[in-house]
Amino acid sequence: MTASRISLGVVAAIALAALFMPPFLPWTHSAIDWDAVRAPLLSAGHPFGTDSVGRDLLARTLVGTRITLAVALAAALVALVIGTAWGAIAGWFGGRTDEIMMRIVDGLYALPFMFVVILLMVVFGRNIVLVFIGIGAVEWLTMARVVRGQVIALKQRSFVTAAEAAGAPASRILSGHILPNVAGVALAYLLLTVPQVVMIESFLSFLGLGVQEPLTSLGILVKEGADDMDILPHALLIPGGMLVLIIVCMTVAGERLRDRLSQ
Amino acid sequence: MRALLLRRLLTAIPTLLGVVILSFVLMRLAPGGPFDGERALDADTRAALDAAYGLDLPLTEQVALYVGRLIRGDFGPSLVYRDFTVSELIAQGLPVSLTIGGLALILACILGISGGLWAAVRAGRWQDEAVMGLATLLTALPVFVTGPLFVLIFALGLGWLPVSGWEPGSATHLVLPVVALSLPFAGAIAKLTRAGLAKALNEDHVRTARARGLTERRVIARHALRPALVPVASYLGPAAAGLLTGAVIIETVFALPGLGRYFVQGALNRDYPLVLGVVTLYASLIILFNLVADLIYGWLDPRMRAE
Repeated sequence: MTASRISLGVVAAIALAALFMPPFLPWTHSAIDWDAVRAPLLSAGHPFGTDSVGRDLLARTLVGTRITLAVALAAALVALVIGTAWGAIAGWFGGRTDEIMMRIVDGLYALPFMFVVILLMVVFGRNIVLVFIGIGAVEWLTMARVVRGQVIALKQRSFVTAAEAAGAPASRILSGHILPNVAGVALAYLLLTVPQVVMIESFLSFLGLGVQEPLTSLGILVKEGADDMDILPHALLIPGGMLVLIIVCMTVAGERLRDRLSQ
Repeated sequence: MRALLLRRLLTAIPTLLGVVILSFVLMRLAPGGPFDGERALDADTRAALDAAYGLDLPLTEQVALYVGRLIRGDFGPSLVYRDFTVSELIAQGLPVSLTIGGLALILACILGISGGLWAAVRAGRWQDEAVMGLATLLTALPVFVTGPLFVLIFALGLGWLPVSGWEPGSATHLVLPVVALSLPFAGAIAKLTRAGLAKALNEDHVRTARARGLTERRVIARHALRPALVPVASYLGPAAAGLLTGAVIIETVFALPGLGRYFVQGALNRDYPLVLGVVTLYASLIILFNLVADLIYGWLDPRMRAE
């Protein structure tokens, strides 16, 4: 419990800093300080140093974190919506519908997803909106499986039988009785999906297929840092560390919540 | 068992076909084509090129032609690497990717299973917490962070290993990419082993073994370990997919001449046959791994053979 609280606290602090700090910094993420090109860590005016063209790394890391988190959250929500709807329908109607819908999920699990996402990025230009719709559209499978399991378990509970006996239509039972009870588990898996998406977004951006300049993301910063790491190791370590911190904290929080709910 | 194999192979065919058609259509929806170079081609040359490669036919006809050739094992010519067929390019890249991926998978299994076992035996103690914390950290390490970081520390800093590149027969060039690629999977396998063993130790047959007075070591080795590894086996399919995608990054970071780089370059160049060939191959590998996982289940846990 404490581990998950600390993790959530760290993520919240990072998110707040990424959201609200950049306007108060003396440098924007794309402004060049000609007097401080390749500044090391802890130099005056640039606590995180600057990159190889003199852009402030604190501002860049915060703005990159903001975009990475925004894309991840949006994509995870897309996955949540598709996965919950798919799983709830399959679980509720059962029988043949369930069989076909879950077979489709099984089949999709066998696909080399990243390759489909890479194709999507190449095909539709590197549009940030498409990045998260594309990722969300392939990350919903686990959500669908979990929600389906929950719905099947809930269907046998007496309050659902009561609602059915009272003549409530399926749509009402699903939205009023089933989904509120699925919300906790769905939230746990949402927490676990976000770090997955952070990973995919950074992966795409690292390959140059995700977020594009002048916007930046942690994946782009890691890529730039990797290119300059022999002269500016901190340009790799800071965004890389931020990425790992976010992924670890959200994974820990999500896993604890999931384990607590499944007991 | 034979029925299971047959059923799996039968479902594999539509899955593969679906992947091929989806990728084909996606690639063709893309603006731009393989012959959009620096210099615009005149209309006649372009038409001749399109006709030569069948790009002027209706899309459905192109798909049918492609699938037809694929069944005969012909991946077609590369549109960008003009003197090569896709099969030749795959033959060059595949051994590199398979070596890196295979070694990473083996290393991940060794590290993960032994780590998970070590923690499970010490369940509830600090060693357990420490190993599981480390496993969580490992699963969160993206290869595009660890790859450059390892180069920074072990190649540029300490000078122990080469920075990048590939030399046939050179083991030192393999160490950094294989280790970086295997770590997240080692973490995931350690978690699965730990959870699987905790569950297996509560089962009836383990209680019987204990009641017979066997030592704890023998109980785990002879009775609990095999069923405990079922979740690890079911992870092999997703792990194979993850290793293949991770290999794309690893091959980029370490400048290795594997398939993953062909895929990304091919997609950017609109080299349709190359991309489709790599996707088809990857999808087949993933399906194959899922099948192997199914076979391993039965071996690990005889109760699953009945189905």
